[in-house]
Amino acid sequence: MGLGNKITDYLDARLGVRDILEQNLTRYLLPRNINAWYTLGAVLLTLFAVQFATGILLLVYYHPITDEAFQSVQRIMNDVPFGWLIRTVHAVGANVIVMALLLHMLSVLFMGSYKSPRELTWLAGFLLLLLSLGMCLTGYLLPWSQLSFWATTVATSSSRELPLIGDFVVRFLRGGAMVGQPTLGRFFALHVMGFPLLLGLLVLFHLFCVRRVGISRPPFGPDWRPMEPLAAFRHEEHPGGIPFFPHYVTKDAAIIAFFLALELWVVFFAPGLFFPPAAFEPADPFVTPAGIKPEWYFLWAYQTLKIFPSEFLGLAVQGTAVTLLLLLPFLDRSPERRPARRPLFVTAYILGIALFVAISVWGHFS
Amino acid sequence: MKTYCLRTAPRFLFISVLLALLLVLAAGAGAVSPEGETVCIQCHGAQTGRLGAPVAAWRKSIHAANGISCHDCHGGDPTDMAMAMNPARGFLGAPKEGSIPGFCGRCHVGVKEDYLASAHGRALGRGGPHCVTCHGNHAVQKAAPDLINRKDCTRCHDYGRAEEIKSAVLDTDRNIAELTQSLTALHRTGIVTKDMDDELFALRNRFHRLFHNVDVERVRNQTAGFQGDLLKIRGRLAVIDAELKRRKLWGGVVVALLLIGGVVALLLHKSYKKEK
Repeated sequence: MGLGNKITDYLDARLGVRDILEQNLTRYLLPRNINAWYTLGAVLLTLFAVQFATGILLLVYYHPITDEAFQSVQRIMNDVPFGWLIRTVHAVGANVIVMALLLHMLSVLFMGSYKSPRELTWLAGFLLLLLSLGMCLTGYLLPWSQLSFWATTVATSSSRELPLIGDFVVRFLRGGAMVGQPTLGRFFALHVMGFPLLLGLLVLFHLFCVRRVGISRPPFGPDWRPMEPLAAFRHEEHPGGIPFFPHYVTKDAAIIAFFLALELWVVFFAPGLFFPPAAFEPADPFVTPAGIKPEWYFLWAYQTLKIFPSEFLGLAVQGTAVTLLLLLPFLDRSPERRPARRPLFVTAYILGIALFVAISVWGHFS
Repeated sequence: MKTYCLRTAPRFLFISVLLALLLVLAAGAGAVSPEGETVCIQCHGAQTGRLGAPVAAWRKSIHAANGISCHDCHGGDPTDMAMAMNPARGFLGAPKEGSIPGFCGRCHVGVKEDYLASAHGRALGRGGPHCVTCHGNHAVQKAAPDLINRKDCTRCHDYGRAEEIKSAVLDTDRNIAELTQSLTALHRTGIVTKDMDDELFALRNRFHRLFHNVDVERVRNQTAGFQGDLLKIRGRLAVIDAELKRRKLWGGVVVALLLIGGVVALLLHKSYKKEK
């Protein structure tokens, strides 16, 4: 008997782990027509784990003090063994995560998986997207480069357009009149503790919802029918489905490997892809660099603010769009999930993606 | 205590998510507007014709690219519209022809010295060329050997001697330009190149200073020394390049392994499907 079996026997006798494993792995059945889009959750879990691990390693050498932050990042990149790898994986990973989050959201929207009884799963997922973007923004300031300083200065300034509370919000975000040590301190605290804690809790809640309600069946195939409205809680079973382990796990593993390959390809072969030149100059409050643009995933918001005659109007439009998406399951209550039978939604979906891409491209070249 | 935590947790969650939302929305404005422009640029930039032209020319210049603004040369107060051109605030205005080398030489000290000692400098005020003759004024570009050309030099004398100087500096200057490009590329990957940047910057300045004395023999004699210094920098770059190549090699191996692993997992998945 191998050591592994001995340990499992020991744990099984005390905690009944074999039953737990069977229930959640081999006897956990998924719909037979489940597709690759469903692997994005596992991909994101892996990517978040990589961010967590590299983040902890960066914390060992990073100094969250304005006089030392830039130098400490330079030291990580040049002196610390494999520091360049850890930092680049962390920075590139943030972009890959946003990419995977957007794909995950788009696939859920297309297949209508956000609909009843999965409203809470969607809500948690969408909040995870917002928190991740918040993590990206707070992380952006930490290297204390020209890019960090000026992007944060302008990003926080736009909150001034909020009626009545604008000035208060700017001071609250910055911890003072200007971006400085108090800003770095609070962004650092949020980035390494506040947001990850919430993110962890939300991930757990999201996974709990997924497991408790059951995986949604892809709305494709001739025998798919909309679900009747639920009078009471019911776990969606998939009798005759495929086991999660080892069947679907192999697909998860494959897509995870492809995402990691993409991330590492950028890290090794195009490390400057997400770093404009201002990212390598120390912050200088007296020199405003020309043409700083936000990261690709914020370009839509940046350009929206420029399109409207006032920044407040731009912020209001952005806020409305985000709120509509957040509350979508409570607004779109029809049980129909088949894309072919939701022409209005699919049209809005395609136009929405096209608008996002077009405004982002416009923002990039504007 | 437990009740307190349970009560405050949702509030904390709400505030933090709100903060994230606020940050996310605010992040959209992550671009820099031209705020912080000096009053010189605000006023002259809005004018047309002779008074506005210098701003447009300056914007494309090497000075603008390096953050050297109007007041750095012309003096004055760039923060006060009313007092901007007041001599009491150090405003110098535009220099007369004879004082141009002194005007530019406040920053380009070495070049000024060599220029003044040269045949060009000795002819200053008597039709001899000065800084602006070759480099222009507001649209000043990065100095390059192309500034020595038949069209410009023959405005005053034969091209022969100038051509000799140009051919003597061309190789070294090309080397300096290549190294500058390599260092910039390295800097863009997060590698600290400051020591080499500073060394190359000083070397470039010394070298450019050298040919302002328009002495062909001196340029030829000293070029070997400059080439030797450039070789030393190139050697240090080669070490970094080798390390980067090693990283790419290992990176390629890891990426390939991940791709192979992914394909194997997919094949395994297909085999399970067939079994069913």
